[in-house]
This record gives sequence, C-alpha cells and structure tokens, in this order.
Amino acid sequence: MSGRSERAGKRIACAAIVAAAAVGLGLSVHHDVQLTDYVTAPKFAAGANLQLRQAECVFDAIRQNVPEGATVYIANHGQPLDHMVEWSTPWAVPETDIADAQYRLTLAPAHGHRLFPFPLTKAAPDPAKGLCAGLTVEVSRL
Amino acid sequence: MRPLVVLVVGLALPGLLPALAAAGWSAVVVFLAPVTGALMAAVAVAIELGLGGSLVPDYLAVAATVNIAVIAWWVTAPRVGGARPRNAPAPPTLGAWAWSVLGVAVVAACLAAVPLRSLRVALLTGDGNPIWLTHALLVYGGHHEMLTSLQNPAYVISNPDYPPLVSAATALAFKFYGLGNLHLSVQMTVLVTACALGVVAMGIVAVSDVAAAGSGACWPARVVAVAAAGVIGVVGFAVSGGFAIEGYADLVWAAFAVGAVLWGLVLPRSPRALAVAWICAAAASLTKNEGLTTALIILAAIALRYRPLSLPGPKARLWAERAVFVLVPALPGLAYAGIIRLIGVHDAFFNAGSPESRLTRAGATVAGMAKYLHVAGPLALGVLLVGCWFLRADRQRAGLANPAWLWICCLGSLAIIFCTYVFGDLEIHGWLANSVNRTTIFAQLLLYTEVAIWAVMAARGVFSRAPAEPPPVSEPLPEVLDDPRPASPALPSRLSAARDAARPSR
Repeated sequence: MSGRSERAGKRIACAAIVAAAAVGLGLSVHHDVQLTDYVTAPKFAAGANLQLRQAECVFDAIRQNVPEGATVYIANHGQPLDHMVEWSTPWAVPETDIADAQYRLTLAPAHGHRLFPFPLTKAAPDPAKGLCAGLTVEVSRL
Repeated sequence: MRPLVVLVVGLALPGLLPALAAAGWSAVVVFLAPVTGALMAAVAVAIELGLGGSLVPDYLAVAATVNIAVIAWWVTAPRVGGARPRNAPAPPTLGAWAWSVLGVAVVAACLAAVPLRSLRVALLTGDGNPIWLTHALLVYGGHHEMLTSLQNPAYVISNPDYPPLVSAATALAFKFYGLGNLHLSVQMTVLVTACALGVVAMGIVAVSDVAAAGSGACWPARVVAVAAAGVIGVVGFAVSGGFAIEGYADLVWAAFAVGAVLWGLVLPRSPRALAVAWICAAAASLTKNEGLTTALIILAAIALRYRPLSLPGPKARLWAERAVFVLVPALPGLAYAGIIRLIGVHDAFFNAGSPESRLTRAGATVAGMAKYLHVAGPLALGVLLVGCWFLRADRQRAGLANPAWLWICCLGSLAIIFCTYVFGDLEIHGWLANSVNRTTIFAQLLLYTEVAIWAVMAARGVFSRAPAEPPPVSEPLPEVLDDPRPASPALPSRLSAARDAARPSR
C-alpha cells in the first residue's frame, strides 16, 4: 500500500472514530436533555416541590411534638418506616423495640387515601398539629 | 445559590491550595478544589466518628493541617529540589492555557445548561432519602449521634457502613444554613458530582494538550476536544438517568473513579497527573463501598504503571514502593472502612446464604449488566480496535498510556460487582432490578470517556494537513518522580535525548 493510500485510510478511520463518538455521545446528551426537560416541566416540578414541602412538614412536626433526644417507636412498616427514621434524625432516637421507646410515632394518611405512596392534598401544612397536606403525624406517649 | 456558596466557600476555598499543589497552575483546579475540599470534609467525618468532636471543628483542623503542610512544602521545595526535574513537562503555552480556560467555561456551561437545571426542582427520592440525607443528618448531629445511630438497628435500612463524602458535603451545607431546606442534600450531591465530572472533562482537554504538543496545535482538533469535554459531563448524568439528580451517590463515586483512571492511567506520567489521580481515587474510596474496591484496582494499576514490573533494582524496595502507591491514597477509605467494622457495623449483602444457585445468579447478573452496557461497550470496543489499528503511533507519541490500563479497570470493577451479586445473599432479580442500572454507571462513563479520548486523538488525524510523523523509537523516559533508576542530572540535554532514543521500547 502506498503512503498516500495509507494516509487516506487513516484519515477515513479517524473520521469514522469522530463520527461514531459524535453519534454515541450525542445520543447520550439527547437522552439527558429529554430527562431534564421532563423533570423541569411545570407540572412535574410543582408536584415534586409539594412533596418536598410535605416531607419538611413531617420533619418539623416531629421536632414540634416530640422532645429532643426522646426515644421513639415508629409504628409504620415498609417505606413509611424508612422515611420516619430519616425525618426523626438527629432529633429523636428511633427504637426497634416498643418497650424501649418513650413515644410512639404513626404516620396516618388522609381519610380515604392509602399511606404509600404518600397522599398529597391541598390542605395547608400545620406541623404544630402534625397536619402535613394529606399526612398526619400522630404522637402518643408510651 | 445557597449550595453554590457552600461549594465555593465551604469546599473550594479550603481545597484551593492543596489543589494548586497537586495540579499546578492548571484550569482543572477550578473543579479539583471543591473535590479536594469534599475529600477533606470526608476525612473530618472519619475523625468525627473515630475520635470525636463534630464536623466543623474537625473539618477546620483537617483543612488547616493540609493547607499548612502545602505551604510548608512550597516554602521548602525549592531548597530541596533545585531546578525543574529531569523530563518534567514544559510549562503550558499561552495557547494551551487559553484552550484550558475555554474548556472550563464550556464544561461549566454544558453542565449548567442541561443537568444542573434540574436543581430548580425539589427531587429527593429513593436512596437520596433514607441513605444520604439520613447520613448527613447523623454527621450534622456530631460524634455521639453518629456513633450510636450507626450502631442502632433502626438505621439498618440506611446502609450504615457507607462512606461519608457525600454526607459530609451535605452536613456542611446544613451547618451553613440549618435544616430548613432538606433539598440542600441533593443540591450539594449534584454540585460535587458536577465538579468530579469537571475533573474528567479537563482530563480530556489535557489529552488534546499532549496530542497537540508533538506536532503543533490544530484548532479544529482543539475544538473537538473542548466539545468532547463539555459533552462528557452531560453524558455522566445521562447514563445515570434520574438517579444523579435525586440525591444518589452512584455517579459521584463513578465520576471520581473515572477521573482517577483518566489522570493516572491515560495521561502521560507526571507528578501532577499522579496527584490528581490520587485525589480522585481517595475521593471515590470515601464515597461508596463500590468506590473503595474500584479505587483499589485503579491505584494498583497506577502503581504498576509508575513502577513497572520490568524495572531493574532491588525487588523488595520496588514492591514496597508499589504498596505505598496504593496504600497512601487509599488510606482514608480503608481507615473509614476499618472504623466502621470496629464499631460493629457490617454491610447487608453477605449475611446469610442465598437459596438461589450461583449459576442462576450469575446468569441473571450477566443479563442485567448487559442491558446497561450494550451501547457503550460495543461502541467503545469498536472505537478501540479502529483506534489501535490506525492511531497507536500517535497515541504513543503523545505519551498516552496503553488503553489496556483503562479496560483493565473497567473489567476489574465489573468483575467485583459481578461477584458481589453472585455471592451476595439478597434475592437476585429484585436486587438487580433495584441496583444494576447504578452499579454499571462507572463502566458506562469510563467507556464513553474512552470513546471521547479516541475522538480527540482522531480529530487531529482528520484535520491535520501534514502527514503523520513516524512513531518514536522508544517511549520517553518517565519523570523523576516515577523513575527510581539513578538519574544523571548533569547529563547535557542532547546526550540525554540520545540516551532516550537508544533505550529499547517497553
């Protein structure tokens, strides 16, 4: 093979690599643009922001209704349990045995709703009363 | 705006001097400084858990110690070292500097234009909640809170053995602004991720620098490099799907690990590239358990690249040096893992035997992994084969490492994840459904980075007018840091070049 055809072959190979990279990386970028457009759409964003506000309401409700450092037993199971442990941190100490707990925490759904996924109503959050737009934080002394 | 303030004031400022010491006056410092700050914050959390105190005083102590050490090194280094080391790279030209600065701007703009837009939406789901937010709140609570909670069985759902880098950055943000905005945890995680991807992107720009250094800059090829750098950050978020913007830490460790591979196992050997690679590997090891195992593979590969097996000299000393190359940067991650075991916390994956056969688990794992590697894998393999056939000499001339190093790290990491699934005890199909899309992020990002590197090399071939130079007779000598053979500093440069040319290629 002559030097000129070698150079031409190399140039074609280089162009193929650049083109393959452009397609591969470009498709990935396109995918991320679509994902970002989806999550930043007004409807999706409004729902996500309301969910976060609800979570922060439960977070505050625990702080306003349970003394700092108290041991708590979380009565819910499954995903709600995960979230209640997280929202109690580091204010209260979750216990796995109810006998070791001073307070019992229950997350109750609004009337006529299932607990998980968390229902979201238009009611104004009131963490002092444990009311969080579709979720109620119930605290009872043991 | 608030997370940006924490990133700049809380992480980048304390990390600036160490990043400058590691990378020199290079544009990568813009992204490396917050990464270094996050690494120091993670070390502070290890101290908080192991010794006591709380995040802010421990972080201040770590940052002050590291910064004082850097200043002391700067003051004393000229007296010890004297002139520029033998074979040290020439300082970057003004043109290379300008392209690097443009690279930073393009990378930041691409990240801001696409994935970082999602920060306006309060996404906080999945692992972002019970794992990373909870860990950040524990770190925020101080030594006693963290220690007792990690040992508390009520927290077993939060994987208490996970390392602390992401939660350290978040807890620092909570220390700045209080607990009023829980979404701050996602925002900090995403910004640290963006910085890690920035280090990767600037590595791609650096590939273009070394490729251009041999035969002069070719501006269309530089444009391709800057574009590839801008794109790779977005690609990182793309392969992670929604996880990266919901507070998961999988892309964080993956980006750190890819940065370590790129700077330590792709770019030419130099003390600065090694330092950046070590920072990235240490950060990966402190981000997730998979990050620690992958970082160990990468560090072992870096040790073998900088201290090749073919080197003459006392074997015991060389092996000791290789061990130091692995253990020094891995020390923070290994120390944290040790502390976690000492306080009686264990992972949840290897507790009891699985009722499923190993063969069933292996088959399901291969199918699960293939689903997420079927695009990046063949694409990178095809580009590798064509690149090796046509561009091997260009790559050698640029001083870039053999691509086998990158592929060894990719396959090594996948092998460890494969073994975890096969020998773990969780029900395999549910486990894969919940996690394999995240555990393959490192491999996907690394393979796309490999594609970008070859594209940068190939762009020079496409746009160059002159025929390519013949390949060099030998690989250039490693620099003074990575060559333990006795140097002859008094040797005139022409003689030195002749000696280099006479050395048989490895």
